[in-house]
Amino acid sequence: MTDAAALPRGRHGLSREAVTRSQRARLLGAAARVTAARGYEATTVADILAAAGVGRETFYELFEDRRACVLAAHQELLDDLVWHVRVAYEGPGEWVERCRATLRALLEWFAADPALGRFLLVEPAAVGPEFHAIFQAGFDRFVAVLDAGLDHDLPDPHPLPATSLAVGAAISRVYAEVAGGRAARLPALLPQLTYETLVPFLGEAEAREAAFRCSEAAG
Amino acid sequence: MVACCAEKTYAGTTIADVVLRAAVSRTTFYRLFDDKRECFDAAVAQCIGRIAATLTAAAADCDSPAEATRRGAAAMLDLLAAEPELALILSGDVVGLDPALVDRYSSFTVPALEAMWGREGAPSPKHLSPGLAFGRAQLLIFHEVAGGHPERLPALVPDIVYLAIAPFAGHDEALRQARLAGAEVAA
Repeated sequence: MTDAAALPRGRHGLSREAVTRSQRARLLGAAARVTAARGYEATTVADILAAAGVGRETFYELFEDRRACVLAAHQELLDDLVWHVRVAYEGPGEWVERCRATLRALLEWFAADPALGRFLLVEPAAVGPEFHAIFQAGFDRFVAVLDAGLDHDLPDPHPLPATSLAVGAAISRVYAEVAGGRAARLPALLPQLTYETLVPFLGEAEAREAAFRCSEAAG
Repeated sequence: MVACCAEKTYAGTTIADVVLRAAVSRTTFYRLFDDKRECFDAAVAQCIGRIAATLTAAAADCDSPAEATRRGAAAMLDLLAAEPELALILSGDVVGLDPALVDRYSSFTVPALEAMWGREGAPSPKHLSPGLAFGRAQLLIFHEVAGGHPERLPALVPDIVYLAIAPFAGHDEALRQARLAGAEVAA
């Protein structure tokens, strides 16, 4: 996710909608950055305004309060991650290869910007009760993405919901590293995570083979 | 405290909420706890104690670690389905607030499982770390309670059995045990 740049000062030919769009994008970027750095509790609307270079009046035209702005920033960041994951998953190749590409995209997304990753995963709990629904909906989005591209020739691990297990494996591994301040080393975990996410679908031997092939591709 | 966190999360809970719900005075609160966090930690310890007691009771008189795991998972999920606030505080607030607390309560389950499988002479963890499997189990449970569906928790028995056994006995055996557990629950 790239931060929106400030608009040129003085006269410019931009429409009112374009200005509002830019202001909203800057506020969301600032809300994510500031909350990631200070924690939700310590973040004030004034901090967000200063970081975004946007006025208070504009802020309240766009958002009801600090909470609404931070939640919108969270939503946008999650949309960005889901987009990256989906693009990788819809890429070329066999299912196992597409899964590996998806996991690589996921790990690289978090490693590229650990502070934003922390905001995405750790901070919602501080916002309040909305956290429950946010978590649940986010989890379901990843399950839906994975389900939509499943290879129907896969063995059926009934009664296990293999998709939930795979999404759970990825989230808990990423969460542990991000919360522990080790997001930068996430891409190195690709072989392990490939094994952990694919084993419910493929069984031990094939999942190990798939994991082994990522180390080969990397080395 | 547990009820307040389930409703408003730790972040949204105030000491005023807690004393109102508990029908005690603010003075009593401060005689017992220094602050909100200390009360929360004590509440978490109590929740962990309840789950530990449930697991121990369910695993008594079992012939194998696999059977103990199947019964333990079923009993624990029944408890959480009846009292979802336990799951909300343990897998939601605890995780958001302080990962060290998660270690504290994974540290009663994981060694218990290790000891059980160790007696069987099973090789040490070969698939993924039991601690990580614990986090995954927690995530699946939280997913249901956060979505407002604690009644679906008993349906997670096969998943939890799978996650608890896979680190020790591998995928194939874990899947076999998950199927067995699913059949037991249905029966």
